[in-house]
Amino acid sequence: MNALELDSLSTGYGKIQILWDVSLAVPEGAFATIIGANGAGKTTLLRAISGLLPTWSGSVRGLGSPLTRRSPARIVRGGVGHVPEGRQLFPAMTVKENLDSGADYLPQAKQLARETREHVYELFPRLAERSDQLAGTLSGGEQQMLAIGRALMSKPRLLLVDEPSLGLSPALTKTVFRALAQINREGVTVVLVEQNVRQSLKLANIAFVLETGKVTAQGTGAELLANDSIRRAYLAI
Amino acid sequence: MRRIATIAAGLLVAAVALYFVPQLLHSLFAQSSVSYLSLLTNIITLGVLALSWDILARTGQLSLAHAAFYGAGGYATAMLVRHAEVPLWMGIPLGGIVAGLLALLIGPVTLRLHGIYFAIATLSFTEVLRAVVQQLPSNIAGGAPGLNIPALFRPTFVAGEMERWEIAFQRNESYFLVYAGLLLFTILLSIFVQKTRLRFAFTSVRTNQEVASVMGVRPARTKLLAFILSSVPVGLLGAVEAHRLGSVNPFETFGVGTTVLALVTPIFGGLYTTAGPLIGATVLSGIEEVLRRNISDGYLIVYGVVLVVAVLFMPRGLLGLIDRLRTRTRRAQPPAAPAPQVKEAP
Repeated sequence: MNALELDSLSTGYGKIQILWDVSLAVPEGAFATIIGANGAGKTTLLRAISGLLPTWSGSVRGLGSPLTRRSPARIVRGGVGHVPEGRQLFPAMTVKENLDSGADYLPQAKQLARETREHVYELFPRLAERSDQLAGTLSGGEQQMLAIGRALMSKPRLLLVDEPSLGLSPALTKTVFRALAQINREGVTVVLVEQNVRQSLKLANIAFVLETGKVTAQGTGAELLANDSIRRAYLAI
Repeated sequence: MRRIATIAAGLLVAAVALYFVPQLLHSLFAQSSVSYLSLLTNIITLGVLALSWDILARTGQLSLAHAAFYGAGGYATAMLVRHAEVPLWMGIPLGGIVAGLLALLIGPVTLRLHGIYFAIATLSFTEVLRAVVQQLPSNIAGGAPGLNIPALFRPTFVAGEMERWEIAFQRNESYFLVYAGLLLFTILLSIFVQKTRLRFAFTSVRTNQEVASVMGVRPARTKLLAFILSSVPVGLLGAVEAHRLGSVNPFETFGVGTTVLALVTPIFGGLYTTAGPLIGATVLSGIEEVLRRNISDGYLIVYGVVLVVAVLFMPRGLLGLIDRLRTRTRRAQPPAAPAPQVKEAP
């Protein structure tokens, strides 16, 4: 079964169309990477999936049910977590409070909040150490970990991650990617949107290239890494 | 649980302290205590207006409808007491409920708007409500002259046993206690929003609606809840004030001044907190009183200048200023120097 299915999805902002008939399928349990340049529509794609942006035409199915025209709150309740671009934490609240905010509004996740939080702390020991520290005082990498942790608090079965490597050092990027791989091994389907092509493709067992709002190539991560035109366009080799 | 106990204890102490304030003033200042009590009642009025306004502001919505809810509470009480013969004390909670229902009614329509558009919509709503009340047949809402409403308290004068001013004191004391109760209720609402999961919901809806949505918060419902929580205390206040002032009329009861004070005070004191609006109310009422006593003509001009200067130089209000001063003094203090190592002379 597919965890995510887009069928000729089109959407945009105002009169400007960003996505043009995007169709793709991500099997359950997969680690999917979507790569593309600035402005290709990667963030728009994730926003359309989680209901933040209304679709113009086409359909979105997630975890077996139609998501088109559902409110974001219902989509989260259905098990689709979203780590937004640029982290978007509550800087004046503690790490623990930020984590809990991810489960507070979801009755099912709230019952499991304590266990989930422990699990997030195992995944990111750094967050456990800084549990009572204000989120605004964390480093960029720690903030990214916290953003992922907050999304995990909703107990997602499908996790959308928007450019977690933004502004991180290569070493930190590796840490964050390793955690995403671990989350994936635990059974969560991950859809990662990235500009860091090399590392994110290495992780992917299915990958897509998005160019000016259209899917132009797809394959396993290794296949795309071996593809000459992709190497030229994204890896500058 | 411990947090709840602390808050409950704090509010209880505050309630007991407020209860003894009139008697304390009476024994300290005798006759002057009458006007001190009026001043305190004014501070509380402003505090309730400001704090309830702030509750909605925490979701990022800037309302100009406070006069509408204030008027709705006042008129609801007056009409119920006059026409339905509702007991005086029942009329007050009903005034609060009417204000809450009104918010429930107009919220879904107006809360879709943001910023200045929401502000204009709520201001128009106030004016429409005022016009409707004024145009209603005068045997219902009293038309332009308004309605009279009986006082809540009528202390009786006992000749020989009390001074004349003591009647005024007793009246002011009784009202003060009612207002103090209303203040505690509003503080309780504010703390409830601040200490439960509503805090994240309100803050995220204000700072980043998108994140709120992916957290599972429903922005529309959250704002509606805030609107209702913010309108009920004002409705209650309008109802109590109607009794204290003795009448309601379309021009004063729906006066835009109420709305302006409700938004200026929290901005002056510090937004999105419980303490900020209350400190703002205390300081502003104090300043106004001092100015009114010392400048007979045009004291409002000076008052306006004070506000402008405050907004220019204290962008985060009094609380922000206090914060800044505190960090500055902390930085100015030299770190505790280690005790000098004195080598023992051989």
